[in-house]
Amino acid sequence: MLPYLKKAVTNLFKKPSTEAFPAGDPPKAAEGYRGRIHYDPTKCMNCGMCLRVCAPQCMHRDIEKLENGDQKVTFTFDMTSCTFCAMCADFCSSHAITMTDDYMIVGTKLEDFLVTGTMIKKAPPKPKFTPEQIAEMKAKAEAAKKAKAEAAQNG
Amino acid sequence: MFEKLIDNSMAKSPWIFHINAGSCNGCDIELVSVLTPRYDAERLGFRLTGTPRQADIVVVSGPITLQTRDRLVRTLAQVPEPRVVVSLGSCPRSGNVFKGSYAIDGPLEKYTHVDVSVGGCTPKPEAIIAALAKATEILKEKRKEMHK
Repeated sequence: MLPYLKKAVTNLFKKPSTEAFPAGDPPKAAEGYRGRIHYDPTKCMNCGMCLRVCAPQCMHRDIEKLENGDQKVTFTFDMTSCTFCAMCADFCSSHAITMTDDYMIVGTKLEDFLVTGTMIKKAPPKPKFTPEQIAEMKAKAEAAKKAKAEAAQNG
Repeated sequence: MFEKLIDNSMAKSPWIFHINAGSCNGCDIELVSVLTPRYDAERLGFRLTGTPRQADIVVVSGPITLQTRDRLVRTLAQVPEPRVVVSLGSCPRSGNVFKGSYAIDGPLEKYTHVDVSVGGCTPKPEAIIAALAKATEILKEKRKEMHK
């Protein structure tokens, strides 16, 4: 009887085990929690691996060609479609996609659930010489070599 | 005369009705855990009811499968106005990993208006409580509009 009484009295002065959430801040998620996706467009190199491994096809890529040959790439992640498996984050070789511990994915419109990022993929630099020029230079060098060898043979 | 009194008391205790439209049970368990002593949504007035005719907030989980589609439509029709529809998890909004399956006929927007959505697979109970709190505000506004 006495241990029960002791427990009852101590429980009287204990904090309630119910979380006070709507009153205060939401508690922090556990370590390694897979929450809302964070996308860093500065690290992305547009390899498209995330698009391949995404089972629910929650991401969308828009590629817009700019005048100077660069590409404007926009990634859109739909959090109402994501299954939070973190495969995209695992496969992202440049670590542009990471999972945050933000689990408060609540909203009334579709825009509340979208994670977007835009990056500009630079076109490769133009070569200094065209292939024709290179072939011409090669032929010239060969002719010079031949002339030199002939001169050496004659001399 | 009693309209205002009824409205005020109804706003303080919105009743929830839960429809499982082919869910994997993950979201359903999280919704039930919202009512357990740890999270205790009942202190805020939420109560899980067994019949759609008494419900104010309808919580739908799962991608809409062909088997549940007709039952979902029938059950939603039984919920009196004003009603707030909350979609739980990724499935009702998009189909999640079942997207494109022959057995799925979603999303939920095809059949009803969706007022609040919770993302996550599955959402944490805190997120569900936040969504229900938002649903209560929407319900209050809808009720006000109805009595205009």
